[in-house]
Amino acid sequence: MIHLQQVSVVYPNGTRALSDIDLHIDRGEFAFITGASGSGKSTLLKLLYRDIVPTEGKVIVDGQDVAKLPPGRVPYLRRKVGVVFQDFRLLPDKTVWENVGFALDVLGASRREKHHKVPLALELVGLSPKAEAYPGQLSAGEQQRVCIARSLVNMPPVLLADEPTGNLDPGMSWEIVQLLDDIGERDTTVIMATHDQDMVDRMGKRVVQLVQGVVVRDVKEGGKYDAP
Amino acid sequence: MRLNTVEFLLRQSWEGIVRNGLISLAAITNIAVALMVLGAIVLTGANLEHMAALEAKAAVITVDLEDGADPADVQAELLADLRVDPKQTRFVSKDEALRQTAQRLGLHLPQSEPEVAADLLAELLGRNPLPNSFRVKTGDPQDIPAVAAQAEKIPGVAEVRYGQQVTEKLLTLAEGTKIAGLLVGLIMTGATLLIIGTTIRLTIYARRREIRIMQLVGATNWFIGIPFVIEGVWQGLGGALVAVAVLLPGYTYVQAYIDQNLEFLSLLYSPSILILFALVILGCGILFGALGSAISLRRYLQTV
Repeated sequence: MIHLQQVSVVYPNGTRALSDIDLHIDRGEFAFITGASGSGKSTLLKLLYRDIVPTEGKVIVDGQDVAKLPPGRVPYLRRKVGVVFQDFRLLPDKTVWENVGFALDVLGASRREKHHKVPLALELVGLSPKAEAYPGQLSAGEQQRVCIARSLVNMPPVLLADEPTGNLDPGMSWEIVQLLDDIGERDTTVIMATHDQDMVDRMGKRVVQLVQGVVVRDVKEGGKYDAP
Repeated sequence: MRLNTVEFLLRQSWEGIVRNGLISLAAITNIAVALMVLGAIVLTGANLEHMAALEAKAAVITVDLEDGADPADVQAELLADLRVDPKQTRFVSKDEALRQTAQRLGLHLPQSEPEVAADLLAELLGRNPLPNSFRVKTGDPQDIPAVAAQAEKIPGVAEVRYGQQVTEKLLTLAEGTKIAGLLVGLIMTGATLLIIGTTIRLTIYARRREIRIMQLVGATNWFIGIPFVIEGVWQGLGGALVAVAVLLPGYTYVQAYIDQNLEFLSLLYSPSILILFALVILGCGILFGALGSAISLRRYLQTV
């Protein structure tokens, strides 16, 4: 599903964010990307939804080389890659239902499609009763669930989560990770960046650890250690 | 396009206007003023040209003959100039000239008896001082000065006159208005585009979170941009409607006033011309609106 071959990213200000990364993630796999702040986690995810392009190397998502994607095709890549953020990025003047429906509106979905898919997504994240609430009336954990519902409503094969639990207390964080795991069970490839080592240990999933833009550890699900 | 999508795009554009109420109002006012100035210049230019054309059409060269010169000789010479329109060139004898003068002087005699007036005048003066003359018209009014100069050289011609000043001044004025109009028009268009562009940029800024989300969930730039272009079009259309609402009644009033009080002037006036004018102004408003927002969108979407 996702291949990175000798990928390096150097930002225009000269910062070297990633160096010579090789990574392969299968369809339906659940992987954590861990590392301290500034280790390159976000940069790695940004490559996958083509917010940035690699300075060197190849990034292939669902068979497409994202660096070679013409600008007009980028939106179609992003329809296959849902993204969840630490800061939720919800629209405060729209209800939960509208926030999730917004992702379908901008893809030109019909009313019927919307009324079919939005309730499904809300049910999946357990927010059906709060459909008419506004983001400001929700807890942080609930807001993150809305964000997840929005990124899932279009049923993308890949779900990226950039520090989705960064603003949540441990209890809520655990719920969100469980939710992402459930989603992973449905044949969605889930990649979650986090610096919460405890949580990663408890889940026992694949872990890719970054230190200063270099993969220092790649532990497959079940704890088998791969030399970097 | 699906109904839901059309509704979504229109609602987005409308929300933009409502959210930036005051700025939208400022943009609409600015477009209205710009289009009013442009419209007024276009109307003035068109009328000056119209008047110049009327004058030119009526312009004649008067060629006075010396006493004793043979009109037939002079006529032959005049018509040898191919720029002269033979059908509209007419001999006016001393007597006819006197009758016309008598009429013009308004001796308060019945119109049917100009000869009585002429005789009376001739008697009063003791003789007829007016020369035989030709009223010469040219095919193209532009040729008048050259033909006049040529006519002066013909033997037996005493004097050549033509109403050159009025026509030439009107034509110069119309030309000047056109150039000024073009310059002012360019500046105004630039300013209007800038204003609409700025307004749209503010809307874009206000909605940058929304735009970012749209981009992340895979909306195409086209889809993201359309509501902003529609918003620009609403503003352009609003401004144009205000401009038309001011210009048309205003022009109609001026036209009626001039018609009644300044008989020697006649302004263009026909419903079809005014409707065309209104449509052009509305079209300009819509075009400015779409273009202004498209320019600022292009810049924004490229940088993201």
